[in-house]
Amino acid sequence: MLQYYLLAAFAALALTQFLKSHKAMNLVAIAHAIACIAFAACLQYSGAIPVYYLENNLYIDALSTYEIFIAGTIFLLAAVYAGGHAESLIKIGILERKNLKGYYLSFNALLLFTVLAFSSNNLALFWIFAELTTFFTAFLIAILNSKKNIDASLKYIFVTSTAMLFSFIGLILLFALTEKTLGTGTLNWDVLLKNAKTFPAAPLAASFAFMFLGYAAKSGIAPLHTSLPHAYSKAPSAVSAIISAVMLNIGIYGILRIYSITRQNPGSAATCSNLLIAFGILSLFIAAFSMLQQKNLKKLIAFSSTEHAGLMLIGIGIGTPIAIYWTLYHVLAHSLTKALLFLSAGILNRQYDSNKIENIKNALKLQPLASAGLILGSLAIIGIPPAIVFITKFSILVQVAKFSTILLIAVLLLLLLAAAGFALFITAIFTRIDENDVMRRYPTPVRMKIPVIILIILVYGLGLFFPQPLDGALNSIVSGLGF
Amino acid sequence: MIASGLPAGGDWIEALLVMVLVTGAFVVTRKDLLSLVSAYQLQSLLLSVIAVSLYLSNGSEMLLYLAVLTVTSKVILIPYAIKKIQKEIKISRDIDFHYLSPMESITAMIFLILLVYGSFTKILRELSPGDLFYLGAVFGISLTLMGMLITFSRKKVITKVIGYLTMENGVLLFSLFLTELPFMIEVLVMIDLFMIVLLAAILSIGVDSSVEEFREKFNAIHIPRLQKRFEHLRKRNGEEA
Repeated sequence: MLQYYLLAAFAALALTQFLKSHKAMNLVAIAHAIACIAFAACLQYSGAIPVYYLENNLYIDALSTYEIFIAGTIFLLAAVYAGGHAESLIKIGILERKNLKGYYLSFNALLLFTVLAFSSNNLALFWIFAELTTFFTAFLIAILNSKKNIDASLKYIFVTSTAMLFSFIGLILLFALTEKTLGTGTLNWDVLLKNAKTFPAAPLAASFAFMFLGYAAKSGIAPLHTSLPHAYSKAPSAVSAIISAVMLNIGIYGILRIYSITRQNPGSAATCSNLLIAFGILSLFIAAFSMLQQKNLKKLIAFSSTEHAGLMLIGIGIGTPIAIYWTLYHVLAHSLTKALLFLSAGILNRQYDSNKIENIKNALKLQPLASAGLILGSLAIIGIPPAIVFITKFSILVQVAKFSTILLIAVLLLLLLAAAGFALFITAIFTRIDENDVMRRYPTPVRMKIPVIILIILVYGLGLFFPQPLDGALNSIVSGLGF
Repeated sequence: MIASGLPAGGDWIEALLVMVLVTGAFVVTRKDLLSLVSAYQLQSLLLSVIAVSLYLSNGSEMLLYLAVLTVTSKVILIPYAIKKIQKEIKISRDIDFHYLSPMESITAMIFLILLVYGSFTKILRELSPGDLFYLGAVFGISLTLMGMLITFSRKKVITKVIGYLTMENGVLLFSLFLTELPFMIEVLVMIDLFMIVLLAAILSIGVDSSVEEFREKFNAIHIPRLQKRFEHLRKRNGEEA
């Protein structure tokens, strides 16, 4: 089935190369994302998973399918949004029409390599595909005509790729470890999971620590998060949504895969678990205090990603099947809510040509839908019921409480601080009303409105109704990972 | 393992390893961009010679392919691309050390090597078959950390790119002495590295240009666009009326 998806992806790339009109390129990107969702759905419902390709180097299991499905959904919504957004960026001259081809080629390539990363059994292949997603993300950040975008893009490349080189050292250690223990070196995740018990604990924990560094940078874990606020705030909003809702997942996915290996090894499990929880707390701490003093809307949302990545790390670090179950559901909840926030912020950015708190006024009157998206998204991300994040956050906190009371108090306090940061910011921008202001309303294209409406429905709909098939999928992921 | 037991030319390889670290120290302290690229070229060439030496000490053929790959990409292609971009930027010196002066960098470098030596003794001894392999692996991680030091202590993007490349050479050195990854993976990693470095180097044109030159480019390219943007904002804000 992967071959059909690859065919669709290469067709999308080839068509984009030859097409000239923006509308056609945008439709191709939308079709590509639909093909990705269809691919994940077919795998899930045909019962074909787990399935191997390319001499076991690629392996698609329930976790891969789940992540591909989330990625496809976010890319689809971002593609629809980009149709209107890119056109408005061209109108004001910060995106050149001749760069549209590069924009859509990178968009399609990013989705393709994201799917391949989620389909990798060989951890070195996963590393390569993850690095390629860094390349295309950096390209998409730099596509706008601004020196600040180039700066943000370079920062993203250097921080992420530098950390990813440490991940590669971890991979080499792991390969040497398997060579010594099993007789033949391998980086295939399924083999590693099966034989993890036999590996010596110290080198395994060291290889985990090295690999963790790279994936932590990819998912915005503190202190390797430094490039992300710039990248998120400078990138076109459709791209910001993808970085936050999909690229972050690649990092978390990598951490989960390697942690599931170390978890099988009694000598290294506790060390790795403590490492994850420590970095999780650090991320929550840095994000919460950065959010409290934030004056830039997109940076605020970016720091919230670091906060949620920290919470996911804590969930993974606790490592009980229930904690992993809810962390996985939190990945979906976070992706949808963060996409809603970034896409709504993108509309406000077009209205005010700024993300700064002091430039946003009369927002409810000028952009009611984006304002609704931002308010509902903010309430959702801080965990107010009945949003989807409420259920996942609450359930992870229950697991934290069972693990350690002190940890629960620390996490709760930091989450409250982060929520206060969000509340202060949102209250500030939506209470700024100036009756004498003559600013004209930015005519938001329908294509930018549709994804926001869909996301509001999904964020609150999934909070009210838990889809039964999802429960089965999450359970099979947890058992597949060996928890 | 890449080569079984202690290679016959162990002393020779040790000398090469020390020379690799010297090129690392050179990159950490130099300001002249052209000599930085030359130092990187020399470092990559030394790595190729080490790979060939290990092959001659009963290593696998893969080492020869790796040496050829390293010479083609890191001694010829990447330096050529960087030198071309340097000409475009017209900056010959990176005098802006970000946080550390050259002397502080050298001190930090020595500290890093000692730290690696102390921290990884147990793990690397467990995995490497002999003293030379252990030394090579330690030098590999040290070179990686030196590259990181360059990436975060220097201001010009093009110098950061060389720091990143030095890091990657450290990873290669580490892998040469510890294990033998499938060749296909090495090729893919090299392609990936090439793409990232090329993108960073191209983007550096926009950032590393001198102020005058950037203004020149800015005036030529961006002013009409900015005017257009300004007019658009004015229209939207109703200032025309």
